[in-house]
Amino acid sequence: MKKFDVLYVSILLVGAFWAFIVNSANDEPIDRVPPCDLLDIVSQTDKFITTDELARRLMSDDPTLVLVDLRSKTEYDKYSLSGAINIPLENILNDEFADVINQDIQTVVFYGNSSDLSAKAWMLTKRLGYSHSFILLGGLNRWVETILRPRPLKETASRAEFELHSFRKAASSFFGGGSSLGESTSIKRIAAPIKRKKKSAAGGGCD
Amino acid sequence: MGPLFPLGVIGDELNMLIGFLIGIGFGFLLEAAGFTNTRKLAGVFYGYDFVVLKVFFSAAITAAIGLYLMNHYGLIDIDATFYPKTFWIPTLIGGGIMAFGFITGGFCPVTSICAAVTGKIDAMIFVLGAIIGIFGYAFTYESMWEELRNSGAMGRVNIAEWMGISDGLFILILTVVAAIIFFAVSIIQKKVTANSDYQL
Amino acid sequence: MERSKTYMNSYLAGMLIGLFMIAAYYFSGEGLGASGALKSVVVATVDVVNHDYAKEASFFAARVQNEENSPAKSWLIFEVLGVIAGAIISAAFAGRLKMEIIKGPNITNKKRLIFALIGGLLFGVGSQLGRGCTSGMVMSGMGVLSLSGFIGLMAIFGGGYVLAYFFRKLWI
Repeated sequence: MKKFDVLYVSILLVGAFWAFIVNSANDEPIDRVPPCDLLDIVSQTDKFITTDELARRLMSDDPTLVLVDLRSKTEYDKYSLSGAINIPLENILNDEFADVINQDIQTVVFYGNSSDLSAKAWMLTKRLGYSHSFILLGGLNRWVETILRPRPLKETASRAEFELHSFRKAASSFFGGGSSLGESTSIKRIAAPIKRKKKSAAGGGCD
Repeated sequence: MGPLFPLGVIGDELNMLIGFLIGIGFGFLLEAAGFTNTRKLAGVFYGYDFVVLKVFFSAAITAAIGLYLMNHYGLIDIDATFYPKTFWIPTLIGGGIMAFGFITGGFCPVTSICAAVTGKIDAMIFVLGAIIGIFGYAFTYESMWEELRNSGAMGRVNIAEWMGISDGLFILILTVVAAIIFFAVSIIQKKVTANSDYQL
Repeated sequence: MERSKTYMNSYLAGMLIGLFMIAAYYFSGEGLGASGALKSVVVATVDVVNHDYAKEASFFAARVQNEENSPAKSWLIFEVLGVIAGAIISAAFAGRLKMEIIKGPNITNKKRLIFALIGGLLFGVGSQLGRGCTSGMVMSGMGVLSLSGFIGLMAIFGGGYVLAYFFRKLWI
């Protein structure tokens, strides 16, 4: 009997070593991206979404969009994109927003007044391995310039430019642009949804 | 990728059936190991029978290794499973009370159920006592226990993290320590039972 | 002389239990417990007798107000039913299925039963306060490397060793 005991305990020890080795080999935490990889990611050029593209998607009621306004609450309250969630940049790594920003399915669009805040947010979340996030190129400033108040075209504009301009004018009226920017009635503000993972099913043996 | 039920891969009925089947395995093994015998159970505290210690640690270590490896290889998502939250004060005190219950009663809830259904009269009384105890606790809950039970909240705490080491290292240390203890108790058990004629 | 030939090797039994624990986690996301089932019995009884009280009193409220049965609690009931079946099967095979009282040589049957009752009472209270019993909280907790499981382990075994001397007459 003693022999069997030794056998069983040895199996446990082997298993424990296996776990230990597997753990040490994998010491680089999955949620950190090493600098060289980060450089590759940063060099990607498809991390931007243009204001036109965003306008197009919003107008076709794209359900996969998640708009994140990175500015302060006061700025958000003054004006923001319809349906956007306000997560000031300093809170971007808070746990409560993780489910919202860490997406496999939906597309997260970060924006601020310019590309600055959103580039920072994008970098931070990319380091954590989040995918599906984009920077609104030019931010709200560009949004105003191109969508809300598209500059009038010169007569010598090309056909493509003309089409773009028509699109922008249509978008402008859609988004309530024009001279009056202060119309906040049509702007939807939503709170960051707290998506709870289906943890409530596993309730516990003894509680 | 597990756990299958919380992630919606299997339905309610199948889940309950699996629970039942797993219970059969658990009950069978407990009885087969001798956990329906209070003298064997109490033996760990007196040195003549260490079955409790051996089974307990082997089970916990096997599960810890298995779940860790499965989590690592992506077979299971530990975050979606039952993970007890740590409330150190009531657990410590409750544990002390349970120790008292163990020394006097000779059972713990699951072993008492196993023993009761296999005919041990004292086990049936134990189960009865436990139910009465819970009734008493329930009716005095708000006045006596509620605050204590909710104290010392630490949330979900992983012991390896709490100690500042990696999971794998903790498991290794635990297993090695357990192996040493197993070796030690086999010697102790031989010594203690050599003199008396403990007939299991 | 140990009759331990009729009992399964402890390490083997432990490892197999560990495998069943893994299975329980993999399939159902639950740990193996029992005190929760006893609590369910109490809650159900009180609920039947006086539903309104059960809805208000904080001990019962969480369980009772959740009108649809939480799957975790039902799973536990089925698991315990399985435990009962499994224990009976094993005992039947090993010839241990009989009415008896196993106790230390130095006390009477009556005393054993009295202490069994006391032990049960203590365990009932202790498991509720400690948020679990040995298998549900400690063993399953240790399996997922939860600090609470290890605290429970220390408390139960530590406490046991401290008290053992005073109650030795019960067992040896």
